[in-house]
Amino acid sequence: MTLRATIVGAGGLGGPIALSLGAAGIELAIVDHDVVELSNLHRQIQFTTDDLGQPKAARLAELVASRGGTARAARARWTDDTADELGGDADVVVDASDDPVTKFAVADWAVANGRCYIIAAALRYGGNVMVGAPGAACFRCLFEQPVEAPSCADAGVLGPVVGAIGGAAAAFALALAHGDRAHAGALLVFDDLRRAADPRIVRFAPRAGCPACARAPIAPSPSPLATPLRVAETADAEHSSPHRIA
Amino acid sequence: MPSIRVPTALRSFTGGASDIEVAATTVRDALTELDRRHPGIAAKLLDNGAVKPFIRIFVGPDDIGGLSGLETKLTERDEIAIVPAIAGGRNA
Repeated sequence: MTLRATIVGAGGLGGPIALSLGAAGIELAIVDHDVVELSNLHRQIQFTTDDLGQPKAARLAELVASRGGTARAARARWTDDTADELGGDADVVVDASDDPVTKFAVADWAVANGRCYIIAAALRYGGNVMVGAPGAACFRCLFEQPVEAPSCADAGVLGPVVGAIGGAAAAFALALAHGDRAHAGALLVFDDLRRAADPRIVRFAPRAGCPACARAPIAPSPSPLATPLRVAETADAEHSSPHRIA
Repeated sequence: MPSIRVPTALRSFTGGASDIEVAATTVRDALTELDRRHPGIAAKLLDNGAVKPFIRIFVGPDDIGGLSGLETKLTERDEIAIVPAIAGGRNA
């Protein structure tokens, strides 16, 4: 059976995610509206100076294909209007964008369409990876709306950091694609990769009145925040998760 | 004494410190003490006394939304983690 993933963003996070999922045999759709610029190269290490000016999605799809994978590219923005076409029949949608609005749009679409999804973000020396699946608390349960979130346009991010966060995102996307939902509804927080690679793994309950969950074909469980879910914790994370970054 | 894990995005308020010990018995008291020592940081976390919608606060592994919110009691060994929504990527 062919497993499919749509990756939204072909930059610093999208590069390692696409290359690793493509090499794992996942059929990819890569979405990005942008072109490669010189200022990208320190963290989007899949690209070289030969790629300057080329559409990121197309170039990354070529790189996936050159390693034996299967990928198609869409030079587009993920919006509510384009989501159905771009999401297609993906088993997993992976947000690797740098835009809070896009992250919510990806998560909302996935929830509404009963798909698994990953929301990945990196900033300075750390980042977050949220693992989403039908029936679990969603990204909008976690952060209600896309406002005032600090971005790398303000704070910056390093190449090794997006590589590590992208690798973790790919590992969990691969797990979801293969039906492993053990971490659905979990947020992995990589606080400072200079100090530790172990994430803090926290779970959060569905939020009462979440407008995204209200559109979900499978209602989230358990009951809203009155009963917090069991949470894994940092010290034992190595033993609780088979999906570690090396 | 309880401690607060400050996210990297807010460490400019704490002189780069990542872990701040605070003498406090509730999460609200802890944030008040944090702001007393590092003025301005609470405004990044709270709006009219409530946690902003793009911030989540955990005591140990537990989301305070599933506990008693800002009135969640603390023990001496508790660690408060502040987790903001973040984006990713453009300029380093």
